[in-house]
Amino acid sequence: MTQTASTTDALVTKGLGVSYNKFVALADVDLNIRENSVHSIIGPNGAGKTTLFHALTGRVRPSSGKITLGGRDITNLSDNERVRRGIARSFQVTSLFPDLSVHENLRLAAQGRTPWQALAMWRRAESNHEAMATVDEMLARLSLTRVATRAAGELAHGQQRRLEVGMAMAARPRVILMDEPTSGMGIDDIETMKDLIQGLASDHTVLFIEHNMGIVMNISDTVTVLRLGRKLVEGPPAMVRDDPEVKKAYLGNMITGDIA
Amino acid sequence: MLINKPFFQFGLVVLTVLALPFFLRSGIMASEILIYGMVVAASNLLLGYTGLLSFGQGIFFGTGSYLAGIVLTRTGVPVGLMLPMAAVLGTVIATLVGGLSIRRQGVYFVMLTLAFSQLFYFLAYTFSDLTGGDNGLLDVPRPMLNGEQLVDPWSYYAYVGVCFVLVFAAMLLVTQSTFGRTLIAVRENEERAAAIGFPVRVFKIAAFAISGAVTAFAGALHAMLIGVAPLSSIEYHTSEIILVMTIIGGSSSLYASVLGASFYLLMADTLSSIWPRWLLLLGLVLVVVALFLQKGLWGLVEKIYALLTHNRIPPEVEPSDLGTDTTAKGE
Repeated sequence: MTQTASTTDALVTKGLGVSYNKFVALADVDLNIRENSVHSIIGPNGAGKTTLFHALTGRVRPSSGKITLGGRDITNLSDNERVRRGIARSFQVTSLFPDLSVHENLRLAAQGRTPWQALAMWRRAESNHEAMATVDEMLARLSLTRVATRAAGELAHGQQRRLEVGMAMAARPRVILMDEPTSGMGIDDIETMKDLIQGLASDHTVLFIEHNMGIVMNISDTVTVLRLGRKLVEGPPAMVRDDPEVKKAYLGNMITGDIA
Repeated sequence: MLINKPFFQFGLVVLTVLALPFFLRSGIMASEILIYGMVVAASNLLLGYTGLLSFGQGIFFGTGSYLAGIVLTRTGVPVGLMLPMAAVLGTVIATLVGGLSIRRQGVYFVMLTLAFSQLFYFLAYTFSDLTGGDNGLLDVPRPMLNGEQLVDPWSYYAYVGVCFVLVFAAMLLVTQSTFGRTLIAVRENEERAAAIGFPVRVFKIAAFAISGAVTAFAGALHAMLIGVAPLSSIEYHTSEIILVMTIIGGSSSLYASVLGASFYLLMADTLSSIWPRWLLLLGLVLVVVALFLQKGLWGLVEKIYALLTHNRIPPEVEPSDLGTDTTAKGE
């Protein structure tokens, strides 16, 4: 757990709801994600986790409610506008530029923070020194320096997952949203990812959806449980784990996972 | 690969301009190759770099052709001013057509560009006061140099050659820039490009704008070459030819387009004099390219180059080889 999660909120939602025609996927969700905390969202299938995620990244327009980032309303901003305000995301199904090098993947992600600069048709890509420095830093942090010149599509799965998270980090965002960062990973890779996510909280605010309860219970400061599109319980991992409502919601899908 | 490096590509371009006069008897033919080389490279910028298959390139080509016809036969504006005007008008129309077409993706995008292509054809056909309708605009003069008109095809070829080298250098610069690299990212994975913050639509429209500028510029050069701004240059068929040239040439480098244009034009010229049904053979060539040479003629050149330098494309790396990145494991 992070020691000193501050008390100010980085990302806040009020009465957030998303409906697809008549189907209510998400209703009345109030979230307060504290600055520099690790916040996880769990819930059984169909609970609305992905919908919530899409609403936060800007991919889906909320049908009701408000989203604020650092006190500023971002409800009506598009996904790429939100990146400029400081929200970055990683995908559940690895989504890289497979034919481009690892270095180029990260360079693009770093450049994405100032995308209008990239319209300059006369400026060489390498002339953005700030982005180039970010790339080197990320490569080291992700332990990918050795494979920097390889095409991203050639990497091993665990490395691709790390690069996936790195793509979000390279934008130097205030908030990082992660959709199942450990999906499809082996045991060793999961440990690496766990350390990586935990380390992120010193510079960023982390919000992630996850099915691996071991990770959720281990590294989250706060856990929010969704069920049928609504918030069921919210609190520190220990509290959530013992909550009878949560146990009922999972109906047999026992929440295991140790708390370190 | 060395042969795809910008300075090498530029070298090839200069070499092409210098070498064509030694291999071709017709200056008209040589000029046409250079003009279509530009047009196809502009189409390649959309197809190869951005992943947009545009059936609307003929619109921009026709626009340039008509602008040259109208300006040079009805006003006293000199060629040196008319050519930039063509590029600007091409930019405007391409921004319009591209901006509306990219609102849809995949098949619908292609259909929209096709629809615009038909629309502009009928506009040109209908407003015959401006365009000359079926007849086109006749007697489009060639540029003047030192008080003399470039009547001789080879002196006009030199004029086109200079334009060609400059335009190509500019396009190489564009593909090497941050902008060009972002276009490649859009082609590779549009969803991710948007997720890391790029306003993808703006980049696509900008690619259209450049493509339109270059195509219209070349269209104007073409009208001066043949002395006519014909209705056929804005026809759907022109768009089709441009795409066929782009695909035959390949899209992994800009010079591939020059290769595609040369191949098509030389083949059309040779075969049409032997056999009136030569388009049948062209169909066969397209089938072969689509089935066996998806990277086009340039892909073939790349393969030969790799064989010659023993610089074969590295074999697929086993994931286990890469997975032994021990430094990655958390301590």
